[in-house]
Amino acid sequence: MNEIFKMGLILCAITLLAGFSLGSVYEITKEPIAEQKQKAQQVAMQAVLKKAERFEMTDQAMDETQEVKEIQIGYQGDQIVGYVMKVVTKGYGGEIEMMVGMDQDGVIEGIKILRHAETPGLGAKAQEQTFCDQYANKSAEQELWVTKSTPTTEQEIEALTGATITTNAVTEGVNTALKMFEEKIK
Amino acid sequence: MNIIKERLKNGIITENATFVQVLGMCPTLAVTTSAKNGLGMGLAATAVLICSNVVISLVRKLIPSKIRIPAFIVIIATFVTLIEFLLEGYVPALYASLGLFIPLIVVNCIILGRAEAYASKNSVWASLFDGLGAGLGFTLSLTTIGIIRELLGTGKIFNRPIMPASFEPALIMIMAPGAFFTLGILMAILNKYRFRNAKN
Repeated sequence: MNEIFKMGLILCAITLLAGFSLGSVYEITKEPIAEQKQKAQQVAMQAVLKKAERFEMTDQAMDETQEVKEIQIGYQGDQIVGYVMKVVTKGYGGEIEMMVGMDQDGVIEGIKILRHAETPGLGAKAQEQTFCDQYANKSAEQELWVTKSTPTTEQEIEALTGATITTNAVTEGVNTALKMFEEKIK
Repeated sequence: MNIIKERLKNGIITENATFVQVLGMCPTLAVTTSAKNGLGMGLAATAVLICSNVVISLVRKLIPSKIRIPAFIVIIATFVTLIEFLLEGYVPALYASLGLFIPLIVVNCIILGRAEAYASKNSVWASLFDGLGAGLGFTLSLTTIGIIRELLGTGKIFNRPIMPASFEPALIMIMAPGAFFTLGILMAILNKYRFRNAKN
């Protein structure tokens, strides 16, 4: 009995100490971590909407779709120059989170994949600039679709070799953002 | 001086965690898709190994042997989480490339293995170098596997193109089966040298 009590006490002391140090380091690093996340988001937004000087989050038109997680309005001075949307779609290996930047007329400026779990060497190539650049200058007026050959019309996106599902997912995400623009913002 | 050399050699060669002890297979197979990933995972595990070995060696006389395992696990998990917080807050670039692997370190049995087999029985100084040696051995193994898989799977090493343009990358090497192929073949080659007298 005595031994059990003693061991319990020692374990308790160890966990208390661990909990205390975790808590204090968490408190110390909370601010810098939030700051880093903010900074990373800022960089990503800037990358897809270059002309904006600052961004302001809006929750207008948010609750109806689960796929668009965030809409940020980009300003240059006091003028709205475009929108950045954070979209989540389902890819081959799990969720794909991306940023879609468009100007005030709904023409895409750029997209950026933030987080994904696609197959290395196949779907993971969706992160590459050459793939993302395909979406630039596409407009909200018509839906985009995926083709396995060289695109012949404005609205076609060339699929990544061996990763049609990933390409479909990214394209669907971009379409969702464009639809959101057409329906709620325009 | 001797103990340092002896511990480093033990960790890197004699008792190499990956190829000799066959510990920590989960991270070994999962993260070695590229040389950089292997190196990153290895270094992160080394940092945790050193910290946990030192602390466990410091408190080794205070912990009754019956509850040593839960106590070690708490200490290791605490260190892993602390390192994750610190990296995320102050070294975001490193965190961005390692972030995924940090929680994996908790379940890396090499760390518990060193705590149990060495740090809980030896002095702080020796345990520190035992951790360093085991960590470097792990890092070396993972980086080697990563280099081979990246080279055959994408034609690059550390993201730099190495192979001529005509080289057709064997994608399977950076997918799960490639990890087993590489590990198995490397282990066979090393064992051939380790047991020179073995038949076949």
